[in-house]
Order: sequence, then structure tokens, then C-alpha cells
Amino acid sequence: MIRPLTRRFAPGLWLAAGLIVTLLAALQGCAVYGGGGYGYDEDYGVGFYEPYGYYYGGWGGDYRVGPWREGHEHDRGDRGDHGGHRSMPSIPTRAPGGHSGGGRR
Amino acid sequence: MNMLELKVRRCATRLLIVFIGVLGTIAAATAAPLEVPPLVQPPGTQHYAGKVIWLDLVTPDMAGAKRFYGELFGWTFQDVSKGRTPYCVASLNGTPVGGLVQRAIGAGERRQPAWLTFLSVTDVEQAKQTVLGNGGKVLSEPRSYPQRGRQAVFADPQGAVFAVLQSSSGDPPDVLAQPGQWIWSSLLAGDPNKDAAFYRAVFAYQVFDQIRDDGVEHVLLASNDYARASVNALPPGSSGLHPHWLNFVRVVNTADSVAKVKTLGGQVLVAPHLDRHGGSIAVVADPSGAPFGLLEWTDTDAKEVTK
Repeated sequence: MIRPLTRRFAPGLWLAAGLIVTLLAALQGCAVYGGGGYGYDEDYGVGFYEPYGYYYGGWGGDYRVGPWREGHEHDRGDRGDHGGHRSMPSIPTRAPGGHSGGGRR
Repeated sequence: MNMLELKVRRCATRLLIVFIGVLGTIAAATAAPLEVPPLVQPPGTQHYAGKVIWLDLVTPDMAGAKRFYGELFGWTFQDVSKGRTPYCVASLNGTPVGGLVQRAIGAGERRQPAWLTFLSVTDVEQAKQTVLGNGGKVLSEPRSYPQRGRQAVFADPQGAVFAVLQSSSGDPPDVLAQPGQWIWSSLLAGDPNKDAAFYRAVFAYQVFDQIRDDGVEHVLLASNDYARASVNALPPGSSGLHPHWLNFVRVVNTADSVAKVKTLGGQVLVAPHLDRHGGSIAVVADPSGAPFGLLEWTDTDAKEVTK
């Protein structure tokens, strides 16, 4: 009895095995993407830790990174193809909900 | 074919169908992307390329981060975890301000928790090609999340990590950030001019040179006639500092916020001092070590710091 059964089910079993392998491979392909040494996150692709070490020792009083106020004049202008100098832009200052406080759009 | 053989065949077929069904269900559950909420409600259609529109904190201690940022800024949190990634959305008065992703740091591993900066794009695939064509790297391939949109994570040519997001609900409007919301972003880079050229290629920024008060290069990136970020040479004397994006939350009083950071277990990395806009800024780190800035911006700040 064993021999005839094996012969008859063999194509079906191979098909099933093939399907399962394909499914598992597809599953793996969906879940994993590159990390480039930063590591990756299987479900949400932003689980990156950056290289260790933040020491801002030399950040003194003259080291400034913030935005300018609107209308600031001490600028050298846009270095792009806009022809001539433009005043230094500031951050959006329009109040949420509508009333204008200096927005440009 | 006898009866026994027939029964065995039927049984085997049914088992196979059930097995494939179960596998399919597992595959669907595992591969389905996280259901993160939209950026803008009700949805809009405006996109402001190059604007910082989202931030995700990658931290090994989500519970600690919730306590810290909740106490410091009054943020509230909504868990949207799925699968193996604990994720939650932080909001201020109902407006989403960022996401928290928990990811363990292995024993002996030295990794830097950080806020990941998402810049707006209208086409993630095109952004990817431009990044690659200008010396950047892809850290996470473009991927879609049903309500949020399509996003990808890159590193610029100097190694600073950033993400791009094509928001399916449009970008948040260009309005003044409220206290407790992100108001400004700075990129600390090895060579600001080279990095500015890279970001200009990707986001079509207007690039402005800034006066050097301190002997190091500072550049300003703008789009839609608004300043979006500054690119700054790494601070003189800093050591082991990797090029990175640093984002600032608007606060009413920097000194008060810094004091609160200390009581909540955070660190002060740069003490409060005046910046260009006439208000005070500081750089701090949350208890897990993720750095961020505090920026005081009042409607009545009278004098700019021009020196």
C-alpha cells in the first residue's frame, strides 16, 4: 500500500513544498531591508541608531545655528540663480488658524 | 483506488489547504506595514519640498521617553505598535509632533539614540535617485505606510542620517510652531558647503551664505521663501562628533526648560545662550542620550544678535 500512495502523492507533495518555500522566501523579502551598518527594523524601516558620541565642547557663544528674524539685513544673499541678493528668509511666523504674522504664502 | 486511499488523499488535501491558509495569514500579518496615522487631519494637498515635516525618536526606552517628553513638553502618546516594533505617536494638544520607535541596544554595543529628521518630498523614488547620484546612501529602501505615505531613510555624503517623506495627507501648514512643537533644524556637517550642494540637489533649496562670527562656515537652506534649516561646520573643539541633524523644540523660557530637563534625568550638552534671532537656545539630551535643541522664540524678541 505504501508504494502506490507515495507514487500518487509525490507531485502534490513537491508542489506543496515548493509553495511553502516560495511563501517563506517572499515573507523574508518583505520583512528585511538593508541597514548599511546602522541596523534595520523589520516592521518599521527607521530603527536606526547613529554612530555613538555627541560632544559639543566647542559650541561657544559665537557659534550660532538658529534662524534669523524676518527682515534681517546682514546677509550675503542667495547664492543661487535668482539674480542679485535677496534678504535672508526667516521661519514661518503666521499664527495657526489664520491671522498673518509675517507669512509669505 | 480503494476507500482508505481516497480518505488519505482527501485528508492530505484539506491539511495542505489549511496549512497554506495559516501561512498566508501569518505572512499578511507580518509583512503588513505599521498603520501610522496621517500627518495632517483633515488631509491637505500642499507639499513643501525640503521642509522638516516629521521626526521619529529611536530609543531603547520608550516608557522612559514618554515620561520625559510628556513632563517636559506636555506631549501625550498613542501606541500604534504592530508586530515586533513598539511605536507610538506623540501629540501636543491633539496635533502629532513625532513618533517614538523602541529598539534595543545590544549588550556592549555603543549606539546613539537620536531623533530622525523627515524632510518633505513629492516623489520618494526620484529623491532616492538624486541621493545616490550625489554621493548619498540608501539606509532603508522606499516603503509605503497606508495613511502616512511613502518614506525612505538615507545618509548624506558625510554620513548624516535623514529621511524623506511623501505625505499622503499633505504637509503641515507653514505656521509659527507653538511652544512644545519643533521649530527649527540644524545640520552639523564636516563641510557645510559640500553638504548644502547635496541637499540643494535633492530638495531644490535656495542656499544662503551667512556671516561668520565664529570663523566657521554656516549656510542657510530655504524653500518657499522660508528658512528651513541651517548647515553648520561642526563646532570647533568638538570631539567624536559625527555629522548629524539636530532639531529644536520651541520653548517659552530656555533656562526654565533646561532646569526641567535636569530634574527629569536629561543632560545639558550646550548651556543656554543667545542666538541670531535674539532668543536663547540650548542643546540637551533625553535620559537615553538622544540630543535635541531648545529654542526660545517670542513674538516680541526685539533685538537680533548680529555680532
